[in-house]
Amino acid sequence: MLRKIFALLKKDFLMESSYKLAFIMNIFSVCASLLIYFFINKLFGNNMNKYLEEFGVNYFSYVLLSMAFFSYIGVGIGSFSSRIRFEQLQGTLESLLLTPTKTEIILLSMTIWNIIFATIDVLIYFLFGLFLFKINFSNINLISTFAALILTIISFSSLGILSASFILIYKRGNPTAWLISTLEGVVGGVYFPISVLPGYLQIIAHCLPVTYAIRAIELAVYQGYSIFQLKNELLFLLIFSIVLCPLSLKAFKKAIYIACCRGSLTQY
Amino acid sequence: MSKSFSPVLTLQDILKFRLANKNPVSALEDINFQLDSGKILGILGPNGAGKTTLLKCLCTLIIPDKGSIVIDHYLANTPADKIKSLFGFVDNEERSFYWRLSGIQNLEFFAAMYGLTPKQTKLRINELLSIFDINYIHKRFDTYSSGMKRKLSLLRAIIHRPKILLVDELTKSLDFDTSMSLYKFIKDLSANKTTIILTSHNIPEAENLCDTFMFLKSGKIAALGSIDTLHQNLKNADASLTDIYKTVMKNA
Repeated sequence: MLRKIFALLKKDFLMESSYKLAFIMNIFSVCASLLIYFFINKLFGNNMNKYLEEFGVNYFSYVLLSMAFFSYIGVGIGSFSSRIRFEQLQGTLESLLLTPTKTEIILLSMTIWNIIFATIDVLIYFLFGLFLFKINFSNINLISTFAALILTIISFSSLGILSASFILIYKRGNPTAWLISTLEGVVGGVYFPISVLPGYLQIIAHCLPVTYAIRAIELAVYQGYSIFQLKNELLFLLIFSIVLCPLSLKAFKKAIYIACCRGSLTQY
Repeated sequence: MSKSFSPVLTLQDILKFRLANKNPVSALEDINFQLDSGKILGILGPNGAGKTTLLKCLCTLIIPDKGSIVIDHYLANTPADKIKSLFGFVDNEERSFYWRLSGIQNLEFFAAMYGLTPKQTKLRINELLSIFDINYIHKRFDTYSSGMKRKLSLLRAIIHRPKILLVDELTKSLDFDTSMSLYKFIKDLSANKTTIILTSHNIPEAENLCDTFMFLKSGKIAALGSIDTLHQNLKNADASLTDIYKTVMKNA
């Protein structure tokens, strides 16, 4: 099993490293988006401070962390479907499923690769934040940050696997990813705290796991909240993980079965 | 077909629909046959006869709507890891490799997926490279010609020493010398008890290689058997396989 996971990761690494410019462009993208929010903060930051009191930081610090952390969420949701889509287009999905490799191994290797990839993004954000923008991360509670991180990765990877199941059957058109990427930006608290939103949008926000994930990480990193203090957020993410993880695995297996029945594995 | 051996493959009442403009069309219908270990079966038929669909049903990439496939005592109704390792499949698609990786990186990856250790992989790749005289294995796959890609596809299919080798259009895109070495390799594999099922549009090639022939037309078996059986059925002991093909396809 470990050998197969290693082979899948090695293949992903070799593929990714063959696109040499992509990594450098990614650093520039992170830098550009941070500069945009830095200047937005300069312009409007003072107006936001009253909404950010519970986090104890200014707008720029808030958005830097949520965007960094959102790498795990965004990569988790988007990359499963985009990777399956890539394998469909390349014709390698059929070759891969022809081998005696369990679906769980393929998905686990994708999850590990996503974590590695998102962690690189997060490190870039943190390095910029620490050295260029002098953001103070000294209050961080590592245990609760790690707990929030793990639960977020499981929750959003499950959503990602669910969206990849749609890709297996419908090839294009991915309602799960569309719904999440549309809602998270508006009401998930990534670009601004949800306390800015009117009451009815806050109700919607409280139904989304991204809201709990972002809130937990902001409070764990900037205010040093313990697991006990974050019990509501972590419990929500835990329930979400317990429900969604087996469900998404079952959906993915069912999607492969349907594609095999239709003989559509190589179609794209 | 001989019943003295336990057949490595048994297909019973296989039926597979294909949806064309929402109207189901039979891609395969009433496919029944058994194949003993070490035999070479040639599937012949016009384009769209269902040859590739049948191969994909065998290796679990397509699940039939009805019927049963028994492979080496295992039922193939659901894709199972044990069954998958019995098969090697040479697809006729060029798309099926990671184009930005080299040939050897692709082979190492698929060997690992078939459960080979790095040491076993290295030995096996060296063995296969010497048989097929391949010297471009370290170049990127997207620089390969169609024939080079085809050879790599064959190497991938046999890297784990499958018990059953499925080859879709055996010598498609291959030059004369490679085709000749491939014929010899196929015969050697068969002598070592590997069961081989191949599709071909090249009838003399199939006649030279195969023990048993299946003529498919519109998803149905039009004729099945050894050359002697086919001669008996046609009541013409001198008929070549090309003559048999023409007669069977005309009458089917």
